[in-house]
Amino acid sequence: MLLEVVTSVTDMRSIATALTTAGLLATAAPAVAQVDAREIIDRVDRLLRGDSSRGVATMEVVTEHWERQMTMELWSLGTDYSLVRLRAPQKDAGTATLKAEADIWNYLPKVDRTIKVPVSMMGGSWMGSHFTNDDLVKESRLVEDYDVELAFDGEDPEGVAVWEFRLTPKPEAPVVWGSIEYRIRQSDDMPFWAKFYDEDGELVRTMEHGEYTEFDDRTVPGVMTIYPADKPDERTTIRYEELEFDVGLDASFFSLRSLQRRR
Amino acid sequence: MTGGPWWRIGWRNLGRNRKRTILTALGLAVGYIAVVFMVGWAEGITVELIENATSLVSGQIEIHDADYRPERSLYDTIGGREGTDVQALLREITVDASVVVAAPRAYAGGLVSSGEATSAGSLMGIDPEREVVLTRFLDPLAAGRLPTAGANELVVGEEMAQQLAVGVGDELVVVASGADGSLANDLYTVAGIYRTGLVEFDASTAVMPITDLQTLVVLDPGRIHEIAVATTDPSAAGETADRLAAALGATDRGIAVAPWPELNPVLAEYVALADSLYWIFIVVIFTIASFGIANTMLMATFERRREFAVMLALGSSPGSIVGSVLYEALAIGFVSLALGAVVTTPLMIWFYTAPPSLEWLYGNVTLQGALLTPTLRVGVNVTAWTWATIGLMLTALVAAFYPAVRAARVPPADTLSGL
Repeated sequence: MLLEVVTSVTDMRSIATALTTAGLLATAAPAVAQVDAREIIDRVDRLLRGDSSRGVATMEVVTEHWERQMTMELWSLGTDYSLVRLRAPQKDAGTATLKAEADIWNYLPKVDRTIKVPVSMMGGSWMGSHFTNDDLVKESRLVEDYDVELAFDGEDPEGVAVWEFRLTPKPEAPVVWGSIEYRIRQSDDMPFWAKFYDEDGELVRTMEHGEYTEFDDRTVPGVMTIYPADKPDERTTIRYEELEFDVGLDASFFSLRSLQRRR
Repeated sequence: MTGGPWWRIGWRNLGRNRKRTILTALGLAVGYIAVVFMVGWAEGITVELIENATSLVSGQIEIHDADYRPERSLYDTIGGREGTDVQALLREITVDASVVVAAPRAYAGGLVSSGEATSAGSLMGIDPEREVVLTRFLDPLAAGRLPTAGANELVVGEEMAQQLAVGVGDELVVVASGADGSLANDLYTVAGIYRTGLVEFDASTAVMPITDLQTLVVLDPGRIHEIAVATTDPSAAGETADRLAAALGATDRGIAVAPWPELNPVLAEYVALADSLYWIFIVVIFTIASFGIANTMLMATFERRREFAVMLALGSSPGSIVGSVLYEALAIGFVSLALGAVVTTPLMIWFYTAPPSLEWLYGNVTLQGALLTPTLRVGVNVTAWTWATIGLMLTALVAAFYPAVRAARVPPADTLSGL
């Protein structure tokens, strides 16, 4: 089960590859709770590596000051590469983000320029949402950087059998969270929510999953919503409209040239 | 202890050993001169610090929406979401006699990029005409000229220009979060390069006309974040701020009027610390001087033991002896004060009106957010000056007290019999 947890942890922290990863949940072999952590990491790595996806999603951002809805097309390859391009609204169409290993570039069609996001802005908002650039970059490291323990095994208030896992960073792991809590449905390994805490144990944000949908023969959470803890009225919701797996992309697709393609 | 004769005796006694009197008086005078100059110079640095720190970028008073500081959110504009009539507000502020100029500003966070290089930057929108009167950092520029409104031009700090490897005429991409949530971005031409000497500021701030910034981040023309105010007297900024707040009805309108000590508390603390240092100067210097006086007076009274013995034998009271010695010390004090004043007054006037520059010696110094050009500039601090005078007199009296008591206790018979 830990395998799924770890996989979904990765999933929850990502944007572009979220569904790919989540999709793996459904196909992963059921495992026993006491599985050796090393083996899990091994299998996660093996499962994630080389797997590609393409999808279309809408992102709705609600803040105190404005609301926006964006439609975007996403491609991903493993955890190292992803490309997101906005289709709507018209004003921002063509704006794209490329993540290749530890770097992020943004393409701005209005001025026809590509900007590499500096390290100092990694904590900044991605496309005005409640996701940060770090969420894109750090997704691949989560498994390596955190220790996982089972914190709860039982039924939630609605009587659904769930597990809760607690992830704590390994010593010297280059991570931003102090700890992460996950709730997973036991029957089909679907993630319910994840809570992200800072180093002082303060809740920073909550990610909720829902509308488990079948895409390309895999059941995945079709919607994820992130709630920042300090702004209770704000949220970012990503909803998948289309999703396909193993679409035969390789690393060369994730180039600056692809980034700058306008559509 | 009656005044008349003892005061004359004290004064006359100064003439008995003129060399010694002059040396003693010089000791006190040098102490006085040292205090006056050190306090004056420290005061000069403080005044320059305040003037520089408040006229370089910030202004002596800043007016914001009450919620703006400390988060400095893009949305907390003066007058809230609806904004305000900027020109009317500026007029209301400028009515105050202490206000030299008021200038509107808007801010936004973003990225500034050129080619491969990108730096996280703060975007500052200004009214160039007013800003050059208010602050010094845009006039003169290190290179180029001020940006023209509506022409997609900006000026960047020297440090940022270096990091991005751009010069005047080059193109920059600016990306920011728009107030409507859009990913605001546009191309700009570097019209000029400024240098404040504050490396962090020069590395992070790009300045453009306020209307251009409002267009970029989708803010209405009535929405500004700040009005910076220059006043005639930086040290009275607190009072001016209170007066402005009352005149504008700040509380009712939800705006905050903050003078520089509130905006730059570190600088305010430094100024308070410098003030307390003056007392330490005065105490240390006069304590040192007092030992010199005590020594001289001991010598002088010891030499005159027989004289005191005669006076006592003739019926003078011990109190009169003490009085004559203290009057002597007081007389030395006046001589020292006259000497000190003769030396310090012309120099202080010179250093105050036309301070000689020490730039050749130190170069420029950055301190507490202010760029200092080291000069021998002095400030006038009447309180410290008065205390230096009182300190000098007290030193003379206190140092002479023990020798005076000793003189009064001379045993007349033994002394006169040569024992």
